Amino acid sequence: MPWNELFWFLVLLTAVTLLGQLWFHFVEWLLAKAKRLLFRHSQPPAWHTLPGETEDDNGH
Amino acid sequence: MGIFSKLFKGPEIDMEKSSANAKRMRALFDHVVEGGNNYRLIFGYTEDVSRFNYGFVHGSKTKIGNLIVGWNEAEETIVAVPTVPDLSGCGDPTYYRRADILKAYRNKYPTDAFVIYPDKRGYIAINAYDWLEDESLYVYVSQDEELAAFTDFFMNRFAKK
Repeated sequence: MPWNELFWFLVLLTAVTLLGQLWFHFVEWLLAKAKRLLFRHSQPPAWHTLPGETEDDNGH
Repeated sequence: MGIFSKLFKGPEIDMEKSSANAKRMRALFDHVVEGGNNYRLIFGYTEDVSRFNYGFVHGSKTKIGNLIVGWNEAEETIVAVPTVPDLSGCGDPTYYRRADILKAYRNKYPTDAFVIYPDKRGYIAINAYDWLEDESLYVYVSQDEELAAFTDFFMNRFAKK
């Protein structure tokens, strides 16, 4: 394969990879937003930190 | 000779960091588990693999869950406490008492995870290694001895068919 064609083929592969990554992260972002909206009233899981460190509402 | 001996030695474990994390694991575990000092501890993790298909892209995702795993030989009990790689906090403990579980065994394929079925509805598969370097995914701790002790306990005392 001539170098010129090889170069443009690699550019195409890079573009496809980048677009794939962008699409994946975009869909993940949409799904995370939908989950936050659907489950905004549910209680978050309990989380404990050590005494002296910041505790959240679910800590002992 | 100097360069090659360094290459063949492999990665060196930061024992100071490992000890600090081991202490913190102990502190967190004792904070949420009553009588926590009666349990020995190792670091383990779970792997949840799921598939996705977003039209133009598809593949699989692996979610890693970190655990502080405690075991009490006399009471034949394993306790799993969810945590995060930097040990900034932990969740509520889950108790697996041998008398109450359905079955427990060590898997062979695809991983050698310690599998516990508390009932017919679900299971937990605990993976454990002597040391894992990736601090973004796992707690940085060296645990050869503890892992050997846990394996011995699980295979000879806790396993149940």
